[in-house]
Parts: sequence; structure tokens; C-alpha cells
Amino acid sequence: MGKNIVNLTINPCKMCMPMGAVSAFYGINKCMTLIHGSQGCSTYIRRHMATHYNEPIDIASSSLTEEGTVYGGEKNLINGLKNLISLYSPTVIGISTTCLAETIGEDVPRIIDNFYEQNPDCNVKIINVSSAGYEGTQYEGFFKTLCAIVKNVEMDITPNNKVNIITPLISPSDTRYLKDVFEKFGIDYVLLPDISENLDGGYIKKYNKLPDGGTKIEDIAKMGGATLTIEFSKFTHDEISAAAYLQEKYGVPYIRLPLPVGIRDTDLLIQSLEKFTGIKAPKSINKQRERYLDAMIDSHKYNAQGRAVIFGEPDFIYSASRLCCENGIVPVIVATGTRCDTLTNALDDEIKKIAKNVFVDEYKILSNTDFDLIESEALRLGANIMIGSSDARRIEEKHGITLIRCAFPIHDQIGGQRVRTFGYDGSLDLLDRITNALLFKKDSSFRENLYNEFYKGDKYISTSKSKTFSQKAMERTVTHPCYNACGTENARMHLPIAPKCNISCNYCVRKFDCPNESRPGVTTKVLTPQDALEKYKVAKEKVPHLSVVGIAGPGDALANWENTKNTLSLIRAYDPDVTFCVSTNGLMLPMYADEMVSLGVTHVTVTCNAVNPSVGSKIYRYINYMGTKYEGETGAAILMANQLSGIKMLCERGAMCKVNIVMVKGINDFHIEEIVDTVKSLGVFMTNIMPMIPVAGSVFENMPLTNNKELTLLRNKCGQSLKQMYHCKQCRADAIGTLEGDQSIDFQDYQSDSNKEQIEKVRFAVISKSGILVDQHFGHATQVYIYDYENGEAKYIEKRSCKKYCEGQENCDDKFDKFEEIVKSMKDCKAVLCMRIGDIPSKKLAEQGIKVITTYDKIETAIAQSIKDYRRELI
Amino acid sequence: MTGINSNILADRKKSIVYKSGCKGDGITCDTESVTGSVSQRACVFCGARVVLNPITDAFHIVHGPIGCASYTWDIRGSLSSGDELYRNSFSTDLSETDIVFGGEKKLAAAIDEVMKHYSPNVIFVYATCIVGVIGDDINAVCKTAEQKHNIRVIPVLSPGFAGHKSMGYKAACNAIMSLVSPYKSEQKVDGINILGDFNLAGEMWIIQNYLKQIGVNVVSRITGDASFDNIIKAPTANLNIVQCAGSMTYLAKRMEEEMDIPFIKVSFFGIEDTTDSIMRIAYALGNDACIRKAKEFTKQQSSKLKTFLDKYKPNLEGKKAAIFVGGGFKAISLIRQFKELKIETVVVGTQTGKKEDYEIIKSLVNENTIVLDDTNPSELEQFMLAMSADILVGGVKERPLAYKLGIAFCDHNHERKQPLLGYEGVINFTKEINLTINSPVWRYT
Repeated sequence: MGKNIVNLTINPCKMCMPMGAVSAFYGINKCMTLIHGSQGCSTYIRRHMATHYNEPIDIASSSLTEEGTVYGGEKNLINGLKNLISLYSPTVIGISTTCLAETIGEDVPRIIDNFYEQNPDCNVKIINVSSAGYEGTQYEGFFKTLCAIVKNVEMDITPNNKVNIITPLISPSDTRYLKDVFEKFGIDYVLLPDISENLDGGYIKKYNKLPDGGTKIEDIAKMGGATLTIEFSKFTHDEISAAAYLQEKYGVPYIRLPLPVGIRDTDLLIQSLEKFTGIKAPKSINKQRERYLDAMIDSHKYNAQGRAVIFGEPDFIYSASRLCCENGIVPVIVATGTRCDTLTNALDDEIKKIAKNVFVDEYKILSNTDFDLIESEALRLGANIMIGSSDARRIEEKHGITLIRCAFPIHDQIGGQRVRTFGYDGSLDLLDRITNALLFKKDSSFRENLYNEFYKGDKYISTSKSKTFSQKAMERTVTHPCYNACGTENARMHLPIAPKCNISCNYCVRKFDCPNESRPGVTTKVLTPQDALEKYKVAKEKVPHLSVVGIAGPGDALANWENTKNTLSLIRAYDPDVTFCVSTNGLMLPMYADEMVSLGVTHVTVTCNAVNPSVGSKIYRYINYMGTKYEGETGAAILMANQLSGIKMLCERGAMCKVNIVMVKGINDFHIEEIVDTVKSLGVFMTNIMPMIPVAGSVFENMPLTNNKELTLLRNKCGQSLKQMYHCKQCRADAIGTLEGDQSIDFQDYQSDSNKEQIEKVRFAVISKSGILVDQHFGHATQVYIYDYENGEAKYIEKRSCKKYCEGQENCDDKFDKFEEIVKSMKDCKAVLCMRIGDIPSKKLAEQGIKVITTYDKIETAIAQSIKDYRRELI
Repeated sequence: MTGINSNILADRKKSIVYKSGCKGDGITCDTESVTGSVSQRACVFCGARVVLNPITDAFHIVHGPIGCASYTWDIRGSLSSGDELYRNSFSTDLSETDIVFGGEKKLAAAIDEVMKHYSPNVIFVYATCIVGVIGDDINAVCKTAEQKHNIRVIPVLSPGFAGHKSMGYKAACNAIMSLVSPYKSEQKVDGINILGDFNLAGEMWIIQNYLKQIGVNVVSRITGDASFDNIIKAPTANLNIVQCAGSMTYLAKRMEEEMDIPFIKVSFFGIEDTTDSIMRIAYALGNDACIRKAKEFTKQQSSKLKTFLDKYKPNLEGKKAAIFVGGGFKAISLIRQFKELKIETVVVGTQTGKKEDYEIIKSLVNENTIVLDDTNPSELEQFMLAMSADILVGGVKERPLAYKLGIAFCDHNHERKQPLLGYEGVINFTKEINLTINSPVWRYT
């Protein structure tokens, strides 16, 4: 998306207050939580937590209904408390209110009083936290709840030696670390909250539905008499801080420490504890520090390549960013969905320094943001790793940026409860995960990269062998309309079963069929192998001389190998005589060449636009090979090497290979003879040099057209060494019939009245499939969008169906009729916008005073641009 | 109810029956959840979102505070063959000021912004709890936006408190009716609509493939892998088949009354149900060629599976299953599927089953089987242990419970990543049951 829409949050990077409340209550001993609101709040939160912690999450709901909403939820709440007590026998109940309860003005403290009044024997401690979802995120909800807990427990203020520890939401594993380190220093502590057991329980013989870990109320009661509070948060506010409250109310001093992540902040904790206790840290801790530092040094060079996106709760992102910075990883985006005004101040200097070191010019610190913005910024700033919850998994999936899952919630992997980031050991764990992800990227590509970049030997030229096409291939060539120009009565059928493509060519606009093989801008409906067989069966009956089945997209046949294989197997089982022909970009050819031949594929077309990586890199934007994206010369070189070795394999196995070459003026035109020679040496049967058609919206949209004369000249030249195809029709991926008989647009002799009335505003006809973009070939329109350009704005007027002009002429020639219909439907228009259009219809439209503009863009943008470009003609 | 009801809430007792104890009024179901009981149900909004979200090219705007949108962002396995827009989560993210001054303006502005940058054909606006209370008139906002932008902007009235999930299904069905009604006088075509499959793990595609096999044309998919263009063709079909009866019967009934499209219920879970359903469709269409093809196809598929099942049965025979799923129809299918595998169902429950569902369930299970409506973890624990269940089939929330009890688990929920529907699904289902029931880990528990 990335449009920076202000009134919508798109893909939230935050959760609601009750989520924080529930998580905090989970750290209290024998505590059940009841969410006062409608049933869904509790269920959603349970589901979210259950997948992260892999623990049963039992949270009750007061199940507010319409009646409760209108007359107040007291009855529901009181009955809910009773039921909850009877089912779970808790010693504490936390009530977290919701948007609904707060908005209808529930007076929960009063209801609790009433409950105690009605149940005088009840000795369950009920703690209420007001946590409307719209008031803040789970981050504030968590602290607010801790504060509510402390406020609701009657304190024993007799001074004791205890240290209070207050944390934001951290993992059970990190909680155990904290406990351990305090114990190592012999400090008597009260930890609030303690989720170490309740959200990471072991397997025991008798399941306990209310686990018995967590901080006990009687321990919390000692917090008022403690000597010190350590609050592990840089960003909490005093009004929701239990530490601040304990100081104000009971005079317990407090310090705030960052989470002990990374070397500096773990040092800070250890030093603070040393100072507090007057004893030196035990040797084991020093050893851990030595190992972490050693590891930092070991991996610093790999880490220097890291450009990280760090997102989540303020304390987490602060710590993870500092860990990255101290290791030379540049946090290019630090983002939280929580409103956090102090974040920039806290991190800016540090990141600036690190970024400057490696000449990274830009980074972003975002508060109150959403994943829509994070995603677009991550791409813009070239991030190569993400650190946070699993919520960025869609970005990982879409753009291949590895995500290190180390914060709540993790839905798609196990072990959320065991994530370690605290202390030297935890930091080392996290660092290793980051470094290894970066290493994996490097390691899985460096061989090819370097080979392709530097090895310039005559690797592509092998000594020319005498061609040994198999007998079968020779026989079938006679009836193949593409290979045998004279055999025009033979028909072929293209089956569009291969939607995906694994390379990106600069002359191609994704979303549409491969322009190599199809008429550009044609979007074909993809068939399943089963459907393809059915279609073949029907065609076989109706089309005489159907001798060839071809797989030519709409993407790449081998990028969809399973589909291709299944389709061919099914058809072969049905018709043993048909010839199989496959078109491909050749990237996966070495992998499947054997299988193709054994499936009976006798004819293969490979599109090779270069045999030199530097030329190739100008044509191919990137390739996607074995799960990794390669760009530039690297990508081009891998592609070429595979094309050539694949072609060689095929030729050696007796298949008939044709090579298509898209001629791009100024890019590869001078290089085509070399391509022809190279592929000839591998045993290719013929080449088909095709002109590149600049498709609007593609990188090459402004490239010059190749004219027929130049094309013929080059073909003739190359024809001296290898057979050339002169009769290519650039068929659709779903073409059926003979080469001549499959022109889907036949505009020979139409007639139409011209309408040249002058109008102030400019009316446009837009040919669009999506209704959003100018994305359809003129000849394929079944509807026309009408827009008026007036006062600097393009206004949508209506959608005109072409069908309605066709009433009563059911038996007429479809294609002819269709064109006429379309023209009729745009009589009042000054111009028509479409993605592509044939020459003849284009001329005919021009004759009628309708300006034809081909483009690929959002409709409104395209109209505005047209006005700009053709103002004089249009107004 | 003797012996094992040591800890059951009084209000819940009528929703728990032994088959043999099921006389008189039978089970109490289709009511409000018992407060404080830790019900496994979700809310009205959830029901609406489940049903509508698979419409891939619509803008689904959740009007309310962030939670509702955050927790429902792309969590289900509905697949798309086209647009991916539905995998985003849009929320008006109402804040305290919005609650005080109303959220209508923000919603209207959000729609304007969407229309400025995108050109969807339809926007769904979901009303959450808060909207129902602060008095935002989303009907009016949507109507105005519709006129202003000349597209469909459809309010989905789904405040969470207004009932349970089923009410949400109804709200979604009403939204779909509102979307398709303008097209009801279009020329009929020869083909059917599939209602109530959400294309989890490609299941809608599997159904569509079957229908193709027997020569039946699918007009519209509601709502798995649906798009605006596809869904508005729905009124032109001559038959509706209803897969998820719980969510879509209401829509099917309305379409029957208002568009004259008859409907039949189907289920594609298990060999028996799948075969029956394919045949039912063929007969309903009354086309001889179609009936012949259906017979051939189902026979061929079932016999293919026989060898497979024969291999697995010895591993599974005699095991005991507990079922806790969303709707009655699914529970019924699962009981049959377990029967095919010679597994006995000892506990069965649903979140939102109807009286008639429970009647069928009773007719399928053994005397001692426990039947539960809208149960909770505490009851599930007691009954699964008391009945010595070996495996639980359920949703994500129930999984950790089963594991903590040392019971195997089959994920039969909306997050699944492998199809459990149709003949293909039988294979996946059986394999999953086998690999969890017979896992070595249980030896150490």
C-alpha cells in the first residue's frame, strides 16, 4: 500500500490495553482474569496468547450482551465472578475492563463492593484495572495493571531487605534469567510480575488448570517496605508506574534500568547489583561476558552488513536497537505502534553514529506507526533483516527480508515462551540468530556471485557437435506449426497452466503474460492441470489437425513445474500421439531437462536475450533462483549459465530446441549474432528474433521500437548461420488453432459513425480490467470506464458494458461485433486509454477523432498525464 | 450425569447431556454464554469477519479501537487466486477523543482517503462494540459514501455484544445480500453457487474441481476466493449448495425467497459425506449426464481411498475421539469420519450448534457419548479424562489443553495450512490423526 493514509491504521503494530492487563495478571499467583466486555475480547486474546506460549490460556469473560450493554453489566459481572470462583478457585481475580464496559460507564469498584457484600465469605482478592482499548496499547495496559495490583494490595510497610523488580512484558525465559541473576547476588527480591512458570509450564502428570507459579499477594504486600525498586523500563510514565507509586506512597526509592540486553545494558545491571550489594559479580557472569564480547568480535564483520528493521514495544526496540548498534548493525527503522515521544531522543545519537560509520545516510525512528509505513520504509531504506514479533511475517514473505522472531506475539513458529535476549548469554543468543541469518544470505550466494562476476572464460562455447535430433523429434517437427512454417494447416493449442514467473525482464509488466511468448498485455485465465486436460479434450474434437500442445505461460512453464508436469502427464495418458512443446526462460532447465524429455517433450523454446552477463543485466531486473533473489550481473549470469547448460542437455537428449531472442535496440541488438552463434554451437535448431514492444509501465517503456526492416536485416544476417523463424505470431498463452487462425482481434472491416462534437470538459474512455488501472488490451474489453476530466480532476462517470450494444445480434461475428460495440460505447469520448491496441483499430479510432493513448498506470494518473501530454489535441 | 460432574456450573448443566440422558427438552443450546465460564466462543464481529474477509478485493474496514483489527489480521488460511487486499487489516483505530466526539467523521474521512488512492468496487465497514454504543450512524456514513464515490459501501452491523458468533454470520449474510441484490434480475445461467466455504488451504478450489469433473459450472464462490465481480453473479445461479451450514443457511434461505434459487446443504468432510454431497448436487440438478459422471467419479475416488484407509485403519482402530468445533455440521461430519476410521467419538461439542444439529449428533453416537454445547476448558478437561479420549479435534485455543492432558490433537480450524476437505482431505486428515495419536512422545507422559 504505502500511501500514508492518515485516517486508517493499516496492519497494526500494536494491540489493545486488555492484552497488556491479561499478560500482567498472568504473573500473579493463583490469579484468574475476567475481561469485562463482550465475549470476543477474551477469545481473541486467548487465541493470541495460546499460539505464542503454547500453553492453555484460560481467561473468563462477563459475556456482555445487548441487555447488559443497555442496563449495565453488573449482573453479568457478579455472576461471572461467582462462576469463575466455583470453577477455578483462584485466590486473586483480575478484572480488565474493555472499550465497551468503559464506554457504557461501568462502575466496576462499586460492583466489586456489591459482590463482596453479597458474598461475605468470599476471600478472593479482586483487582480491577480500567483498560479501555482506545486508551492505549498493550504496553500501557501492562504497566497500568501492575500499578493497579500494587495499589490494591494492603502493604506491610515494616522495612525489609527486599528489592522490588518491575518489568514490562518479557519472555518467561528472560524472567528466569532475572530471577537467577538476583539470586546469584543473594538479593531477596519481589518480582512483579513473574510469568516464568505460568506461561511456560512443564508437563506434569496431573494437569493444573490454574498453575501455581507467579508472584504471591503476600509477597507483593512486602513491596511497600522494600529498600529499593528497580523498574526495567526506559519509557513508562510515572502515572502508570508501580515504582513511582511505591516511592510516593511508601517512600521506597527506585531506579529505572533498561532491559539487560547487549553488553552495555547488561553491564549496567551487573554494576548496579554489585554496587547495591557490595559484592563482586560471580565468576560465571564474568565468563558469560567474556564469551559475548568474544562473539561480538568474531562476528562484527558479518554484522556490519546488517540493515535492521526493529519493531515492537518501546523497551524492546530500544534494547534491540542498542544491541544492533554495539555490533555494527545499522537500525534503519526503529518502530513502535505505541505513542512514545521520548524514543527519538533516546536512540538518535547512537544510531546516527553507527550509520555514519558505514555511510548509511538515512534511518527512521517511528512512533505510533503501523506496518504499512514500516513496510514501505523498509524497502526504501534497503533493510535486510527484521527483528520483532511474527507480525512482520507478511513483509518477510513478500520481500524476502529475514525476520528474527523474538518478541510477543509469535504465531508461526514455536518457542515464543523460550526466547532469550537478557544478559550476556541471551544477548549472545539473539546476536547469533541475527548474524547467522545474515551469513546464510551471503553464504548461499557467494559462489555463484563470484563465479559469475569474474570467471570470463569461454565457458559457453563447446565444440559443435553434429546435430542428432531424435527420430521422434524430427517426425513431430513436420506437424509443428512453429517449427515448420509451411505446415500451416497444423494447429497447436497453448495451455495456460503456468502462472508464476521466476525472472523479471525489463520489458515485462508483471501481472500480465510474458511478453516473450504472448501478445503483450494479454492476461490469460490460468487453468489447473485437470482443467487443461478437459480443455484439450474439447479442443481435440473441434479443431482439426490439432497436433501440438504447448505450455507457454502465462508465466514460465518450469517455474510451475508441478503444473506443467501434471498437465503433460494427463494429456499424454489421453493422447499418446500429440507433440509436446514447452517454452521457458531456461532458468530451471538443467534441473528439469531430463524429466521433460522422459515426459515426451520434443520441442523446447528458450528465450535467451544475452550470453554476456553485462548485457544480460540490462535486460533482466532480477531472477529468483532456489528461493533467493539475484540482481544485476549476478542474476543474469546464473540465468545464462542455466539456459545454456539446459539447452545443451536438451539437444544432447535429442529434443528440438528453438531459441527466442527479444531484440532491444541499443541494449542487445549488437549482441544477437553472438547469441545465435553460441546457441548454434549447442545444437539449437533455429532462432526466433523478435522485436521488443515497449509496454507502458515497464522499465523499457520509452525504448525505441525496432522496425521491420531492421529486424529482417538481422534475421537475414543470422540466417546465414542458423535457421530463422520468420513467421512468429507471438501467440497468446491460451491460443488455439493454426498460427494464422488465432488472431483474437480481427478488425478488418468495421464501420462506425464518427462523433466529433466539441466539448469543454474532456471525456475519456478507459479500458480497464481492474477498474483501478489502465491495464487491459483494447481488444479484450468487455466494459469501458468513462471518465470526465474537468477542473483539473478526473471524475468517474460510469461503466459502460459493451454487451448492451450487442443486443439482438447474437449470431454475428464476435470479434467484429465486439470492436464495433466498443467504438459505439465511446462515441462521446475524446480519447481512449488502454494498455495496448492493435495498429488497425488504433488507426480507425484516430479516423473518428478518438485519440488513442496507450499506458499502464492508475486511471486517474493516466488521465492527468494524458492531458499534460496531449493538451493541444484534447482541449 | 452421575460420577463425573464434580465441577460443573449449575447454569451449564442443561448444555451437557449423555446421549442416553437426552430426553424431553434435550440439550440447551443457541443461548447466551454463561458469564465467567471461560466460553470458547468468539463474538458477533468475529462471525461477520470470518464470513466476509475471504472476499479478496474488498476493503474490510474495522470501525472501532485497534484490538478488533489487530487480533483478526490475516490469521486465517483463506487463499486467493487473485487479489491479496484482504490480507491487510484496516482499522479506524478510534481513540479516546473519537469515543467522546463520535467516530463518524473519521470513518467518512477514511473512506474518502481510500477512494483517493484506490478504486475498490466494495468497502465493508464493520461496526464493533463501541460503535454500537457511541451512536455512530454507520448506515448513514456508508450511504453517503456510496453516493459520493459511486461504489458499494456496505455496513456490517456486528457489535460484539449483540449475540454470539452466529449473529455475526447473519450480519455478514445481510451484507452479502445487500451486495448482490441489485443484480437479481440478471439473466439466469446454468450453474451453481458454493456457499459457506472459505477456501481454507484451497478447499474451495477442491470443491470446484469436483464440480468440474461432473460437468457443473460454478457461478459464484461465497466467500472463499471470492471477488466483487464473482460474487455479484450469484443471483444468476440456479442452485445454491451450502457447505458451512451454520454460517450460510440464512443467506441461502434469503436467496431462495428473494431470488428463487433453491439450496441444498452439503458437506465435503469425509468420504461418505463428500460422495453423498456430489451425488446430491447431481440429483438436484437432475441432469442425466451429470448424474452418470458423478456416480463414476465418486466411485472411482472412493475406491482409490479404500486401499489407503485399509493401510491406516489397524493403527487407529479402537481409539477414542473428542470433538469440539465451531458448528454442528462440522461436528457431524467428523463423527462420520471417525466412524470410517473405526474410531469412536466419546465427547462431542460445538460452539454454536443448533437444536437440529444436536438431534443428528445424538443419532450418530453411542449411548455413553457426552454432548456439550458452548463448553469450556474446565469441562473439556473433565470429560476427556473421564472418557479416556485419545485425541481431541478442535481449534487453536484447545490445542495446548489437549497437550497438557497428554492427549493427541488434530487442528481442524481456520488457520489450517493443509486441506481437510474432500477426498484429498481424507488423506491429510487420516495421516494427521495417525501421526499425532501414534507419536512416540506419548510414551513418556
